[in-house]
Amino acid sequence: MANVTIIGGGVAGMAAAGVLTKRGHEVTLMERDSKLGGHVGKWYKVFPDITDASEIVDELKGDLNGVKIKTNADVKEIEKSGKKFKVNGTSADAVLIAAGFEPFDATLKEEYGYGIYDNVVTSLELDEMLKTGKLKTKDGKTPKSVGLVHCVGSRDEKVNNNYCSRVCCTNVIKSGIEIKEHYPGTDVFCFYMDVRAYGRGYEELYRKSQEECGVTFIRSRLSEANENADKTLLLRVEDTLAGKPMKINVDLLVLMVGMCPSVNAGSLKNSIGLETGDDRFFKTKNKHSANNESNIPGVFYAGATTGPKSIVESITDGRAAAAEIHSYLS
Amino acid sequence: MGKLYDELSKDIEIKHSMYACMDCGTCTALCAAAEFYDYSPREVMDIVQSRDDEKIKELISSNKIWYCGQCLSCKQRCPRGNNPGGVILALRRLSEKTGLFAESEKGRQQLIAKRLFGDNMLKRGYTLLATNPIPSHFPELGEDWEYYHEHIKEMREWWGVPMDLENSPGCHRMVPEKDMEELRAIYKATGAVDLMNKVEEGMAKKLGGKEEVEKFWQSYQDNVDSRLYKIKEKK
Repeated sequence: MANVTIIGGGVAGMAAAGVLTKRGHEVTLMERDSKLGGHVGKWYKVFPDITDASEIVDELKGDLNGVKIKTNADVKEIEKSGKKFKVNGTSADAVLIAAGFEPFDATLKEEYGYGIYDNVVTSLELDEMLKTGKLKTKDGKTPKSVGLVHCVGSRDEKVNNNYCSRVCCTNVIKSGIEIKEHYPGTDVFCFYMDVRAYGRGYEELYRKSQEECGVTFIRSRLSEANENADKTLLLRVEDTLAGKPMKINVDLLVLMVGMCPSVNAGSLKNSIGLETGDDRFFKTKNKHSANNESNIPGVFYAGATTGPKSIVESITDGRAAAAEIHSYLS
Repeated sequence: MGKLYDELSKDIEIKHSMYACMDCGTCTALCAAAEFYDYSPREVMDIVQSRDDEKIKELISSNKIWYCGQCLSCKQRCPRGNNPGGVILALRRLSEKTGLFAESEKGRQQLIAKRLFGDNMLKRGYTLLATNPIPSHFPELGEDWEYYHEHIKEMREWWGVPMDLENSPGCHRMVPEKDMEELRAIYKATGAVDLMNKVEEGMAKKLGGKEEVEKFWQSYQDNVDSRLYKIKEKK
């Protein structure tokens, strides 16, 4: 029986832990937070079926019998001697890094006014508002109009994130549907460059948001937001299909923040000489055929630690990594 | 691809300003010129990116490339690191080199720019003299400017910058001849002098001779409206 340490108790780490423990390995799951679930554990409804995120986490937890769970365990480095590893004092024959992502810090896009204007929030705060049933502007009113901004911190050389965060488009669609279903009188405007609704059921969700819910999509990229005297926001975009610059007012502006590498990715990398790509996410041995392996035998990756992924992809990736680890240990 | 695009792509400004545009419109959304004119930096990028000589020719023969005020807000915001304002500079140079600037009303105003601050630079090393912005040419400067212009001599005495074109501080200071030689050498080496000559040549070609260029210049001096000079149709 071999020891496997998994860094990160989000959906990818949990999925991998579930498979590895069933295969008879001694699994230690380390989570920096006080409970398992990662980002998904904090969310409300997720696409494509607008299901409760907590249900997903609960199901993955159900597979963790026999797994040693260490919460409040922030892992910043891995030690290696010979073929053995040590993580926060626990020895392991193989290590799985499932350190996930950090949401993009929206204050870096200063021209959007997050942290400056009253009614600019991030997608995470919108989710919290929907979860608590309080979609409100700062002065406590239900917004008559909401603007959803795609690609905040993604596909943007100005913040050194050239990559696409992949899930934000479908998250916009899902959020638009939720807003319209709970607040039918609220207008929803989405500012997109391309709608990258690539997964199964995503395109159908896009269509539903337009046909059934009346969510409006304006092909544009937000250039800047300004606060009006009444605390609403004046947005400057170009409607690129009409080819005309336009100004539009919204009561609430939501920035759909992209994914950035985990704050611990840098120190984990340096501790044993792992590799990252230009996007600062971990670099896998082969993007096609060895996408869970690192440059160091015995160290594997799963989930958003190797780039933005949806929930289903992270779970699948966690289980794929578990299979790789099992083969490595046999 | 064609000759115009090839020529354009040699311009260093293009090399520094033109990567791949994804048509997001961030630039046009906050472009001050786009707010008032039929102008869009995104459209400019789109045309150059198409590498279509016909479209490029149409663009550099039009008023559009002259609407940009070079604030470079587009450069600050472009998520792909493009600089539409820089592309505009390259297009303007190509328009002057090819003489196509003379096909548009805004383009023909290059003669005014050349003769005013272009020649000032080469003669004195300064863009504008205090007497250059006359009130009838700058109504937006209002009554205060009219008053200043009328009382320019006494007011400048008060400020200690007398109206002495031979030697007074600021824009009337005399740049030493040795420095002027250097400046003229830079203007020559960088091609600015050639472009200025191209403007004179292009105007003469379009209007039908040097005399007509002088008439155009005089008409502008008198009326401050380059549209009032009527171009004779070629037979």
